[in-house]
Amino acid sequence: MADLRTEEMELNMGPQHPSTHGVLRIVLKLDGEIVLDAEPHIGYLHRCFEKHAENLTYPEIIPFTDRLDYIAAMNNNLGFCVTVEKLMQLEIPERAEYLRVLVAELNRIASHLLAFGTYGMDMGAFTPFLYAFREREHILDFFEAICGARLTYNYVRIGGVARDVTDESLKLVEKFLEDFEPHVHEYNDLLSYNRIFLKRTVGVGILSPEAAISYGVTGPNLRASGVHWDLRKDEPYSVYDRFEFDVPKANTEIGEIGDCWNRYMIRMYEMIESVRILRQVLNQIPDGPTMAKMRAAIRPPKGEVYMRTETPRGELGFYILSDGKNKPVRVKGRSPCFTAMSAFREISRGLMIADITAVIGSLDIVLGEIDR
Amino acid sequence: MRAYFRNIYAAVSTILIGMRITFKEMFHPSVTNQYPYQYYFEKRKNVRGIHKGFRGQLYIRMEDCIGCKKCAMICPVDCIYIETSRLEKGITLSDTRAVVRLKDQTVWIGELLEGDEKIEPGTVVKLRDLDGNLHESPSEHVEHVVTSKKRRLKLDRFDIDMSLCMFCGLCTEVCSTSCLYMTQTHEFSTYDRASLLFHFADPSIYEGLTPDETETKAEDGADASEGRKQKAARRRQREETA
Ligand code: SF4
Ligand code: SF4
Repeated sequence: MADLRTEEMELNMGPQHPSTHGVLRIVLKLDGEIVLDAEPHIGYLHRCFEKHAENLTYPEIIPFTDRLDYIAAMNNNLGFCVTVEKLMQLEIPERAEYLRVLVAELNRIASHLLAFGTYGMDMGAFTPFLYAFREREHILDFFEAICGARLTYNYVRIGGVARDVTDESLKLVEKFLEDFEPHVHEYNDLLSYNRIFLKRTVGVGILSPEAAISYGVTGPNLRASGVHWDLRKDEPYSVYDRFEFDVPKANTEIGEIGDCWNRYMIRMYEMIESVRILRQVLNQIPDGPTMAKMRAAIRPPKGEVYMRTETPRGELGFYILSDGKNKPVRVKGRSPCFTAMSAFREISRGLMIADITAVIGSLDIVLGEIDR
Repeated sequence: MRAYFRNIYAAVSTILIGMRITFKEMFHPSVTNQYPYQYYFEKRKNVRGIHKGFRGQLYIRMEDCIGCKKCAMICPVDCIYIETSRLEKGITLSDTRAVVRLKDQTVWIGELLEGDEKIEPGTVVKLRDLDGNLHESPSEHVEHVVTSKKRRLKLDRFDIDMSLCMFCGLCTEVCSTSCLYMTQTHEFSTYDRASLLFHFADPSIYEGLTPDETETKAEDGADASEGRKQKAARRRQREETA
């Protein structure tokens, strides 16, 4: 009996699979229902961002950063703009800094809501998805009011933000924050502590802290593995050092460190923290200009720069090499989803097929950013 | 055995908690917009309209365009095609109109009475619109002012390929006369890609224009020097991009 062996099978998951969150193909090597190996194939959404950026002036690149991580486009705009500003050593007006934090945190909530909604859907619960979209709609509504677009904002600019925000629009945010916090508790009742959901996620797909660090996993995925690291706290950019907030820790009472449930739950905690930051932003926001005084043509000095920011998915870094002209010589993006995806193979070994969707969903990847 | 039943109990009870939340929703008004039927997004209690500054289809007031090509230069996907030529000697076109855009994205077009492109804090911006109504706003609420400009070029071609446009809005922000703007139209899909190439210029409007004798001399000089300046500027820009 001992030397009876089942035949290994290769199974293609994707590129068109509802739970791969975009066009991702995974080649699974299976022994029955056990996954021996999972090899992700990426690149279906490759749009040549880095090469393209070399042929564009700096302000023209910003709309393209929208299309990297299209779920959190504000954070991508911000990441690119602070990089260029670091190279130019530009002083940003106070109001613009606060507006940047405002839109970045709102977009973080919107992004985590989407992660929460689609994760519920992956796990077979359709209702949370509709709830998440109902709340996300308010955020998109606000974004539409301040910049005119619902998904690809092009709002954060080098030197400030594109348009000023009226008091009426800020009231929209205030109203949203009031309604939102109770909703998060509702979500927790609805999905997070649901027995069936717990059974499918607790202890599944564990990513150890050592493995997470060695793969360069960042953001909520890293924090879920028990590593306390948040660039907003540890390496503050913009005006993040003025706000009080906590970096959420993995919950070991219900879940295990680094499992799917904790990766999911960290995002729920982070939404609450973002609400805290937003309240402080609304209280402290000063009046004033929203654009720094500078020349119309943006020409950073010769040199190179690397700057990283915390997007909802982790550490987004941009490397820019400038030769003093109005176009960069080289732009490199360091994508948080790509590193999360590279750890996927390690996580998924030995799991069941059905757990693969749980792992992909909990990593919260956006293929637009992985492929660039 | 006990654990087995406890498990079933836990699963059912947490589902009931979820059910309670969904049941509460029955008494809330519906947030769903019956999209193709509620076409105009009319404002109801829980359905909002489209916001004023929405970035939809591009539109241009041709009578205000001075042909500076700034929009075509900044467009990241190069989907604006402009061809201009010099006006025949002595022909003058009407000046462009001033535009004031407030921070809440209200736009006034007409004749600027007070205020300048450089917005000084603590002043007022005043404008008489085309119907003769007066508009006034403290400069804190003003986002953008463009003054009236001279038109010295004929626009032979002004095409925008909306199938390439990515609605970034950069072109509308740099426009010297704010004549290029984005409307709230967002439904203009067609079966045919070529029909998304919008032609705005109408060269026929320049036919039949006769030189205005009285203004010939003054215009002439200004025209020539302006043309030289523009050429030099364009050459500089070309060198930069090369
Ligand atoms: S809105 Fe369209 S036409 Fe205007 S700059 Fe952007 S891509 Fe070009
Ligand atoms: S920037 Fe404005 S004025 Fe200049 S060519 Fe374009 S539309 Fe005309």
